[in-house]
Amino acid sequence: MSKAKQIALCAVMVALALVLSYTERFIPLQMLVPLPGVKLGLANIVTLVALYRLSPKHAFLILVPRCILGAAFGGGLTGLLFSLVGGLLALGVMTIAKGIKFFSVYGVSILGAAAHNLGQILTSMVLMQSVYVGAYLPYFLAVAIFTGFATGAACGGILRVLQGVKL
Amino acid sequence: MRDGLRFQKGDILAIGLVLVLAVFAFCLFLPENEKGTRVEIYRDGVLAESLPLWEEREITLEGDYTSVITLRDGRVAVTSSDCPGEDCVASGWIDRAGRSIVCLPNGVEVRVVGDSDVDFVVG
Repeated sequence: MSKAKQIALCAVMVALALVLSYTERFIPLQMLVPLPGVKLGLANIVTLVALYRLSPKHAFLILVPRCILGAAFGGGLTGLLFSLVGGLLALGVMTIAKGIKFFSVYGVSILGAAAHNLGQILTSMVLMQSVYVGAYLPYFLAVAIFTGFATGAACGGILRVLQGVKL
Repeated sequence: MRDGLRFQKGDILAIGLVLVLAVFAFCLFLPENEKGTRVEIYRDGVLAESLPLWEEREITLEGDYTSVITLRDGRVAVTSSDCPGEDCVASGWIDRAGRSIVCLPNGVEVRVVGDSDVDFVVG
């Protein structure tokens, strides 16, 4: 793939991830699961697709601008720190998990969601300088199983459709 | 067909792994089922105020945002806040030792502590 095409493709996927993370603010998941800041993690679909169809490097190059732009559009500096730590930890774990043939995209997505939530809790522990925030961890991990399954299903569908498409 | 894009048996292992981690974390932070005696209010990790839980008071904290903390009937809650998301208000009332309400945008933590609490703060 040419350099120009790679840049264009990554840019489109950054835009897509931004729209997804913006859209999910309107999904009132918090009414169902009363946890502070609980989200579906739709933008992770983009990271997963990039990981499967492109490479970890491309996924990284999509993730970082997405976090920075997301912070610029609302979320601020603390928001940036949260999404970066969560996103990078998730990407790292998903890259490793993808290498294990045991897991399908569902397993990879669930582990990624769990890593993302773990990263965010760790960030808030450091920011708040309090270990008590960690009491939320078990609930966020349990939620990650469901959100990770959902995004994994979406990603599996997308990847199956894309199977015949040459990027 | 096993193409790695459909749910397969190995994925149950991923779920199990996360569940085990969740249970481990739950045991680590097992909430003490003891009613708290004091309320500690932290601003950016620093203890700003410590008061008995039985007091009837309303405290207004001005920072990046304005949060109102209310103590009533031996419980405490963030009753109003203009921070984005208002997760702190949604957390509701707490009275058990070891529980806390966190407002990240405003850097506020409201923590209920008991007599037997060993206060530990990292950082």
